[in-house]
This record gives sequence, structure tokens and C-alpha cells, in this order.
Amino acid sequence: MPIPRYGRPARFLALALLPALAAAGCGGRGETKAPAAVTPRRGGTAVVGWNGDIKTFNELLVPSNYVTTEVLMRLFLRLVDEQPDYDKGPPTFAPLLARSWEWSADRKALTFYLQPEARWSDGVPVTADDVRFTWQAQTSHDVGWDSANMKRQITDVEVVDPKTARFHFTRAYGRQMTDANEGVILPAHVWGKLPFSQWHRSGDWFHEHLVVDGAFALESWEPHQQVVLKRNEHYFEKGFPLLDRVVVRVVTDQASLMTQLFNGELDFVPQVAPADAARIAADPRLQLLAYWFRLVVAVAWNNRSPLFADPEVRRALAQAIDRQTIVDTLWGKYGRVADSPIVKAVWAHDNALPPLSYDPAAAQRILAAKGFRDSDGDGVLDRGGKPFAFELISNAGNQQRNDAAVMIQAQLKKVGIKVTPRIIDFGTLVELTDEGRYEAAVTGLGMDTSLDLTGNFHSRSIGAGNGSNFARYSNPEVDRLIDQSLAVVDLKDVRPILDRIQEILNRDQPYTFLWESQRMPAINRRLHDVRPNMLFSLSNIKEWWIEPHR
Amino acid sequence: MPGFLLRRLAASLLLLFLVLTVTFFLLRLAPGDPVGLSESSRLTAEERADQRRIYGLDRPLPVQYAIWLSAVALHFDWGTSLAYQRPVNRLIAEALPATLLLASAALVVEYGLGLLLGVAAARRPDSALDHLIRILSLLVTSQPVFWFGLMAILVFALAWPVVPAGHLRSVDAADLAAGRRALDLLYHLALPALVLGVHGCGAIARVARGSLLEVLGRDAITAARARGLSERRVLWVHALRNAVVPLIQLFALSATALLSGSFVTEVVFSWPGIGLLTFTALSARDYPLVLATTALAAVLAIAGNLAADVAHAVADPRVRDA
Repeated sequence: MPIPRYGRPARFLALALLPALAAAGCGGRGETKAPAAVTPRRGGTAVVGWNGDIKTFNELLVPSNYVTTEVLMRLFLRLVDEQPDYDKGPPTFAPLLARSWEWSADRKALTFYLQPEARWSDGVPVTADDVRFTWQAQTSHDVGWDSANMKRQITDVEVVDPKTARFHFTRAYGRQMTDANEGVILPAHVWGKLPFSQWHRSGDWFHEHLVVDGAFALESWEPHQQVVLKRNEHYFEKGFPLLDRVVVRVVTDQASLMTQLFNGELDFVPQVAPADAARIAADPRLQLLAYWFRLVVAVAWNNRSPLFADPEVRRALAQAIDRQTIVDTLWGKYGRVADSPIVKAVWAHDNALPPLSYDPAAAQRILAAKGFRDSDGDGVLDRGGKPFAFELISNAGNQQRNDAAVMIQAQLKKVGIKVTPRIIDFGTLVELTDEGRYEAAVTGLGMDTSLDLTGNFHSRSIGAGNGSNFARYSNPEVDRLIDQSLAVVDLKDVRPILDRIQEILNRDQPYTFLWESQRMPAINRRLHDVRPNMLFSLSNIKEWWIEPHR
Repeated sequence: MPGFLLRRLAASLLLLFLVLTVTFFLLRLAPGDPVGLSESSRLTAEERADQRRIYGLDRPLPVQYAIWLSAVALHFDWGTSLAYQRPVNRLIAEALPATLLLASAALVVEYGLGLLLGVAAARRPDSALDHLIRILSLLVTSQPVFWFGLMAILVFALAWPVVPAGHLRSVDAADLAAGRRALDLLYHLALPALVLGVHGCGAIARVARGSLLEVLGRDAITAARARGLSERRVLWVHALRNAVVPLIQLFALSATALLSGSFVTEVVFSWPGIGLLTFTALSARDYPLVLATTALAAVLAIAGNLAADVAHAVADPRVRDA
């Protein structure tokens, strides 16, 4: 049966339609947006404040980094644009560098038809050679890209003609489009001149030989200060971007970031702390946006530790933690109690999960049944002469997680468990959790929209270099279900499997999920049509427009 | 004197070598790995191995040390930053001017203000003004510099916005003419330099006061007064010239302290100097960059101490003959 081919959208019409869409409240699903003013205006400069700096102009060279990815996505195009409709179903995609695509009958080949007008900023057309070159770079051992494994099912990228590239896969599976689309397309005619073996140590070379095909081109870069993007006159979507320039200012200190937002130096800050939310909301010049993010914060119990090996003990711990109070205290209305690694804003979240409510009395009963008693009267439960005491680690620089660790310490003390919170730097936390040299950790579980649970829950992901199963959770049924989910071709069919996995995780509590929270970007009201979403803060930056200074 | 200098120089080089060697091994032995710091949770064992090979981290530690040391000693090549994939030498060269500018401006504030306060306190010892200066000096010096910086930002950039909250230049500084660009730089320099300078001026004021009081009690000053010189001339010319000697020795050490203080200030003010570079390098376990910035800090500290020793030796021949 032929697979439907996606049509080409008349993207330039969006400019004319934006005000009407905004007035009708037709913002993207699952996203948030600032109210649009009536007349979009072309020109002007928007200043974005970020607490990190761009590291390189070649995304394959350095570890994945939020700000670098966000900026490079405005300079370079991906083949297709993942849509923010993750609340409705599996990922859907809109044309971007590829105007359309089609699947082979056996779904083992995916052919992309590139935009005929797409050009690099030096005027050279973007071709299928660029697509193939990018795949070669992404999978080169000399380049060592940290997401290369997403390409492991792609056996070849064939240049069918200058504007047609065909991806060949080892097999059909549900996440093929996501895998093919990972990473921006690179300019073969320029960057192909430098052998892959010399890419590392050549950060300056890529800066000096930067040609782009995105909505913006680079005007200047001052490390640790700012990146200035200007309109790319060769961008294929006529009429976009609306802004002349975007300045990304690096502000490493959060308090300084807020000061610069309040005194009008910044027009957009992609994330503010909950503590600043009320002040921003009360400022008539500013607007606070909020949308649910794809990160769950949890306590990872080291399942290999004798204290936490028993799922019933882990359930008792979960019942002894008052998660609602933690969320109310740390996030207020911008957070909610989490019960699954799949956040509630995503279509595959299981809404039928039985709630695990705060019940310290029940927790004490379970622990007593498991042989924990305060035999020496010191206020701490013990078993076999060993007290129920452990260290709870969290990473420095993340105030909410550190505060949560202290609150958990106080809550578990009430049931006779001694917790010692310890704040360590992020690198150390990663190493300790990777290697299993810890007892419990407050950590974040990020989940992309392809909902691959292998990394966090499959037993083959235990140990450094194998994945992110920090809890060292091993359940043959979960392993089998995850493998089954990876074999599903149509992701809509994966839901019953994911529901079952969530049910088991809820029962086994390898992690106790604490909260999912909202990202809260703040914008100056001069700036319009800002629609950040779970995927990217600057996702529709080409449509942003700004009023002149009042 | 040449022998004294050579001995001090040799000891300084040995100290530098030891600092770098210890830092190299401590960094590698500390938990955390630049390869494990990706925000991507999908790093496989194969990708890890690729990255370790590319960065040369797969070799035995003594081999890594030998390669690094020989490159530094023979070619002054500090390697390539793991986080930026750029030569460390270039990153340092880009950041150093900003740090030197900030530290120099702060030094001017620190000594200018410190001397003024010290003289004012010494003119009327135990007066209300003397007590006020002492209390203020203690208050300012006892605050952590980052907190002092944040308070200054809140007051002078937000509540009473007379200066920007940070950065080296305005967003559109590149479009300005040279003169206006220089003014723009001064405008941005004002607050961090004042914060750093004012933070350090309390100690200078105390040393200046003590030294001045000691000099003012000498017979030579009594004689100068007896000759009918004005009190202003006695104080600013005769007394201050003699009282400033301990401050000259302190100067070299102050410069070092200012550089380390500027590290924190740079983070608070988004000032693109060595401090901000070190901060990001440490977060990313960027070994080559951390080693280079450590070396720079060590060189500055050693040079400061060396300068203080030399100044002391010039002032007191017994030191250089020892």
C-alpha cells in the first residue's frame, strides 16, 4: 500500500494569516503564546538573555548543549520540523528543508524532496549531497557525535538527484523519521574541505567558514558576551524572518539576568525561576508565558543497594514523601506531582495510574512488616543492626532539587529514616549515578517525544556508557515491553505497551517521581508572536516581531 | 641582587611546575568526566570510546601528562579546549585583556579610595570620622564580593538605573564610533570596577592609616612642623611619602587578590574575562582550559609574591643578603 506523501505548504501565507490565527486563539496545540498585536512589523532587533554561551558553530563537535542547539537551529535547517502537538499523538512533522517526503512500500526507505529554492548563505543551492555528507559526518568515528547512535539503523543516505535524498534503514520501526531528522544539515561544499579527522580542534575554522541555510545568518560572535544573528537574505521562505537581528546575550548569573529583564535590556528570557514569576506577572511591561516541559524530577533509588532492593520498601518511601507539599512549596501553580516518566502533557501519559498518596502511617506499616524497627530507641529504624540511613545527593546550582532533598530529609525523619542530603557538582553526580556509587539521588529524567524508555529503564542501560538507568532497575517484563515498543512501526500502536510499562513502574517505584514543572519564559510586551514549546524555546523565532521602543 | 633574583626565580619556576602537576592529577582523579557531561542521555559506550580517543583521554594518565607537559614546555601549546574546540592559547588571549582591564580599574579605585580614607582617618585619630571609616571598612571587606556585586546591581542597575547590569559593551556597540565605543566601555566598566575596588579599599585604608600614624609620630615630622611647613604639606608630601612604603609591598599582593576577586565579579557581571572562562571550563571539566587558567593564576600569584619580595629586598638589604 502506498504511503501518503506530504504536501508542500505555502509557508509565506503564514505571515498574512498570523494575526487572524492569533485572534482566533489558534496557537499550536500543547504550546503557549503571547497575545499577538494586530499588525506584524518587519524589522528591529530582539535581545534574548541566556545563562549559557554558544560553544561552537558545528553541533557535531561538542556535547549536546541547550543554548548551542537552540542557536544553531536558527542558523541551519533540519529536514523537517517536528510539531508541538505531542499532547495529541505521536510526533508529526511539517516540511522544512524537505518540502515533502515519501516512504517506500516496505517502509525501509524514506525519500526527502528538498526545497528547490533552498540555498546556503553564499548562494550555493542546498542539495542531497549536503544531506549525505551530514549523515557521513554524524556517523564518523573521527567526529564522535554524541547522538550518533540515533543513526545506527540508517545504512545509507543515497543521492537520488540534486534535490532528492533517500534514507535506507535496516528495518521499519516507529521512530525512523525522528532518527533521520536528528541534527541539522551541514554545508558539504565548504565543510567537506576539512577531513573529519581534523574537525576536532578546529572550532575557529568552522566559525571562519560558516555558511548557513536557516532563517538567520551570523553577524558577530563575542564569546561569553553575545551572538548576533541577522536576517539571512538567502533564506528560502520569502518574507521571513520578520526581525532584522536577534542578539543572544550571555548572562551567567540568574539575578543579573532578572535585573536585565526588568530594566528593559532583554526582550526574552527563556526560563525564569518560580520565585521570580509573581514579580514578572505583576510588571505591566512584561509577560510570563508557561508551558509544561518534558522533564520529570525524581528520586532515583539505587535498586542494587540492600536498602532499596525491595519494591515494597521503595513504595513505602514514596508514601512517606509528601510530594504535593514539595511541589506547592517549590513550584506553586507552575508544577504538579509526577507519577510517570512520561509527562502529563504528552499523549502517551497513562491517566489511569493509581495515585500513590502521602500516607506515612501506611509507610510505617510496610517498613515494620519488612523488619525495620527502632530497636535501640535512637529514633532511627534499623534492621539486622543496621540503621535505615542513607545519603541523598543532588547537584549544585539546582536550587529546587537541593531544597527538595532537605524537605525529603524532614519528611522521612517522621517515619524513622535518617537522610543526609549532600550537594555535589553536576559532573560528580553524573559519574556517581552512572557507576552506581550512590544510594539515592534527586535527578531529572528527560524524555523526547519518541518516548523511547530504553535509556532510563531497560536493564541493558545500566552502567556507564550503556544508558541512563541510574536506578539500576531491572525487570524482565519491562525489558520485554520496551523491546516490543521499539519494534512497533506505527507509534499509535505503542500506547497499550507504554501504559503497561507505566503501571509497572508505578508499582515498582524504581524512581519516585516528584514533579513535572512548567518552563516559564518571560518576554517584554514589545515582542510579539513568541511561541515557545516543549521542543524549543526559539522554535518560531522567524515569526517574532517587535514594536519600536516606546 | 642578581643572585637573589635568580634564586627566587628558580624557586618560582619549581613552584609553578608543582602547582601544574598537582592540578593535572587532581583534575583527572576528581569525579566527573568531560565525556559524561553531555545533556544527551543517549551517549553509548561506543560514542564514549570515540570521544575519549579523540580527546586523548584513553591513554594512560602518565602518558597524557607527558604529552601535555612537553607541548606546554617545548611549544607553549596549552592544547585545545574540549568545550569550545578552540586553541586554549587563543581563548586565554581573548579573555585576558578584559580581566586586566577590570583588575587595573579596580586597583585604581582600591588604592585611590583606600588612601583617601586612610589619610582622612589618620588626620584625626579616634575621632567620629575615624570610627566611621573603620566600621565602613570592616563592613565592606567582610561582605562576599559576589553578594556585594549583586547588591550593587540591584541598586545601581535596577532601583536607580544609572549603569548597566553587566557585560563589556552595549548590544549595538559595534555600530558606534571609536570615541563613543570607548565611553560605552567605561560605562560598562564602572560598576564592576567600583564593586571590586571598593570591596578591597577597606584593607588599604586600614594599612594606610596605621602606617601614616606611625610616620606622623616620628621626629622628622615634628621637625618639619617646627620649620613652619603647612599641615597639608607635612601630611601629603612628607608623611605620606614615607607611609606609602608598606602599601607598595602590599600592591603586588593586592594585584593578585584583585585578579582572584575579579573571577567571581566576572561571573556576576557577565564580564568576559579569565574568571568567566574558568567558571565555564570547570563546569565542563574542560581539562586543558582549566589547567591553563590555573597556570595563569599561579603565575600571577607567584609574580605578585616575587615582586613583593623584590620590593622588600630593595627596601631592606638584609633580606637579599640572607
